[in-house]
Amino acid sequence: MINRFKERLGGISPYALIPVLLFVLVAVFAPALAPYAPGMQVITDAMQGPSFAHSLGTDYLGRDLLSRLIWAARVSLAAMTIVLVSALAIGILIGSIAGYVGGKMDLVLISVIDIMLSLPSLIIALALIGIVGPGYWSMIAALTLAWWANYARMSRVVVASEVHQPHIEACRVIGASHWWVFTRHILPSVLGVVLVYASADAGALVLSIATLSFLGLGVTPPTPEWGQMLVDGMNYLEDSPSMVLLPGLALTLVVASFNVLGEAIALQKLPRAIKGRALSRRIRARADEEKTIKRGAQ
Amino acid sequence: MNASAAITVKQLQVHFASSRGAPVRAVDGVDMEIQRGELHGIVGESGCGKTSLARAIAGLQRPTGGSVTFDGRELDDWRRERLAFSRHVQFIFQDPLASLSRRQTISQSLEEPLKIHGLGSASQRRKRVLELLQLVSLPVTCLDRLPRALSGGQRQRVAIARALALDPRILICDEPLSALDVSIRAQILNLFADLQKKLDLSIVLIAHDLAIIRLVCTRVSVMYLGKIVESGPTSELFARPRHPYTRALLEAAPSIDPEIERSRDVQLLSGDPPSPSSPPAGCRFHTRCAFSAPICEIEQPIPRLVDERTRVACHLA
Amino acid sequence: MPVTIEEPRSQPIYEVDRLIVDLYTDKRTIRAVDDCSFSIKPGETLAIVGESGSGKTVMTLGPLGLLPEGIAVHFRGKALTARGDLLAVSGRHRAAVRGNDFGVVFQDPLSALNPMRRIGPQLAEQARRFAGLSAVAAKTDAISNLRRVGIADPEDRYWRYPHEFSGGMRQRAMIALALASRPKILLADEPTTALDATVQAQILALLKQIQAEDGLAIVLITHDIGVVAGMADRVAVMYAGRIVEEGAVADVLKTPTHPYTQGLLSSVPDLDTPTGERLTEIPGAPPDLSDLEAGCRFAPRCFAVTPSCALARPSLAPLSSVTSMTPTHKVACFVMQSNCQEPIT
Repeated sequence: MINRFKERLGGISPYALIPVLLFVLVAVFAPALAPYAPGMQVITDAMQGPSFAHSLGTDYLGRDLLSRLIWAARVSLAAMTIVLVSALAIGILIGSIAGYVGGKMDLVLISVIDIMLSLPSLIIALALIGIVGPGYWSMIAALTLAWWANYARMSRVVVASEVHQPHIEACRVIGASHWWVFTRHILPSVLGVVLVYASADAGALVLSIATLSFLGLGVTPPTPEWGQMLVDGMNYLEDSPSMVLLPGLALTLVVASFNVLGEAIALQKLPRAIKGRALSRRIRARADEEKTIKRGAQ
Repeated sequence: MNASAAITVKQLQVHFASSRGAPVRAVDGVDMEIQRGELHGIVGESGCGKTSLARAIAGLQRPTGGSVTFDGRELDDWRRERLAFSRHVQFIFQDPLASLSRRQTISQSLEEPLKIHGLGSASQRRKRVLELLQLVSLPVTCLDRLPRALSGGQRQRVAIARALALDPRILICDEPLSALDVSIRAQILNLFADLQKKLDLSIVLIAHDLAIIRLVCTRVSVMYLGKIVESGPTSELFARPRHPYTRALLEAAPSIDPEIERSRDVQLLSGDPPSPSSPPAGCRFHTRCAFSAPICEIEQPIPRLVDERTRVACHLA
Repeated sequence: MPVTIEEPRSQPIYEVDRLIVDLYTDKRTIRAVDDCSFSIKPGETLAIVGESGSGKTVMTLGPLGLLPEGIAVHFRGKALTARGDLLAVSGRHRAAVRGNDFGVVFQDPLSALNPMRRIGPQLAEQARRFAGLSAVAAKTDAISNLRRVGIADPEDRYWRYPHEFSGGMRQRAMIALALASRPKILLADEPTTALDATVQAQILALLKQIQAEDGLAIVLITHDIGVVAGMADRVAVMYAGRIVEEGAVADVLKTPTHPYTQGLLSSVPDLDTPTGERLTEIPGAPPDLSDLEAGCRFAPRCFAVTPSCALARPSLAPLSSVTSMTPTHKVACFVMQSNCQEPIT
């Protein structure tokens, strides 16, 4: 039965998909799942261990840790989605223009893309935040700026190779406009490639959001976010280690699940090495079959 | 200039810039007329420029010089009205698998031109698609399949049906049979002949196989190194070829009768065709011509009418 | 040493016996060659005619191990040369049995010639390896081979790269490469398909000349009947992995018996066919080789089909009852054999 599921998911193991799916569900249904509001402070209840009222305990301001973790998932997912969508939009737009138009436009754009790619993404992000100041939206902008170039490069390659194919020209001959040709014939290929990489990128993005928030440059308190909770909790490490351990664990698990998903997708794209072995096994099985038949016939 | 000419080509030049210095002069001064209802064949060997000529006539390639006129207007003028032009002139590519989108079903590929031009509602489009299938003798089961599930002959039929969806007046076909199996070529060739009669199309057929051209075309132009060396009605050209190159091509074409094949004395063309980026001075063919005279090395021959309808570009014809 | 052969000697120099070739892809198994046999004598030219999927390339190049990599193949049957059976050994040992008896001319010269090396050294290496010549002798040999195949100015061309040659010249260079190891049998896989008609005529004339000088046996794979008519002594017509008709060229081309051969010949336009005449079509398309039924494979498209055609496979046998047919002319068709009638030309 698992195999049937496998086929419907395009050959990707459901085991790889489930952890990520869980993360998304938790994030989306946070208001329903979290027992308390994340900002609700009850100072008298501060620094408590796990109890009936607070299954994971409270932090130094008496806020329920479980609720904060759940809401942090939502914040991470939201931020990650906004950055991914923006970076994809900008990257695909610029890359497609470069690949489709070619010529001088391509030369100019590829130089820009190359420059952006040669700078480490975090440095770019830090630089931008340094200029506009920290905050949620600066973080979003900074990460988008750091991330778009890779998608641009990929889109450019796909578009440039597709645009000269005979079937594109054939489409133009029957009267299609550039827009028609691009949206209906080239864009699907681009999305097919780029979205795969984007899904693998998601984990790194969550980590980057956490890193920036950890440094105080991203999500600011009181909005819950794992990285930001980590830096808060470091002050209280001896008294309440769970303030550090729990967000750390959550972060690790989520990033790991995205990595597993990315690997599953990548594995799906290089089946030949694996299939080759299966094939030679089949041939040997056949040859043995023949020998037994021959022996039987004699 | 003939009033009934569908397409007129005047001194057409298509030069490609080359990184190695001299540009490749694929088409170098071609004059041609395609009449209405004509099945005009353009024949020549690889590198003679026939594909570039076909593409230029269809508007797929911008000429570097000269003009192509359709319906009284130059193609440059038509360029702004891409939609309108595509309803008059259509193109068939050499490789049907490459010219169809591999992700679209046949039904989608056939409906696409209709959608682009906004012709009819969904049910009307569906009706037209079924009509087109009938026109090219394809079964309805093709509709939901992808191009790679079809055979080469079927794919080419789909490409033809798609080109005919807009009811064009002129169909330009670039070596439509080369990618097909030998026994399938007959089917497609017969189809072209039928379509031409049924729809009163003007068809331009590019090929390197003389036998095919001879079978269906009413008029033939022979190309060598970017120029048309001879052009005339099919029967005339094959019965009385005047240009030495035409004669050489006919000599080289094999026969399927082993007795004829083995007993004929093949006068082989010596050497290889020169490069289109550095064509010989004077008559382009003089370096391989068995009859070359001193004038051939100096002066380019101008195409002359030697008959009512035959033109030859040769000093000695 | 050039040897002038007046007539082919009576003993075959290469014999393929009951060859069966299965190709395995991850989706299905294809029987590309289904129990085919042929033989060739020195100085003879055998043409193997068929369309895509007929199995002609697999049958000819397969036993030598020349099929494209990445496909899993299984051979059965025999491929006999003077040294032994090519199929009885594997891998490295096959090279020893193959020896330098075979030369191959491919359809695409760029696939046989290394584009990164100059032409001359590639030829010289063949001569050194297979004919045991010294470096100096190999170079001289290569130059004389280049001259022999009609490449002008061979001393200069020796140092050129393949991409500097034109299509026709590249094909000549490939023939030179094939000849460098002094083969006895030349396998030519559609050697002129990619070439223009005028160049094709030159290359075929060259092959004929070399054959007359060296007594080569040539196996010529082609789909072009004109080439068969001009070059071949015998011809085998293949369809869907089986040989459906074989015999002397004059017999098969003038009196084609198998319905496929008849259809093929009448669907090919010839310069003698009058303008405006409609070509005979063979309806339908070649079958899917992974999904075959029992019986004659051509039955779905055959104009002479009878119900018994789908029951069993017709075997290749001479129509000796018809006096105009020589015993070497064989056909695999129930209808033609049982009716013993004159074939429809």
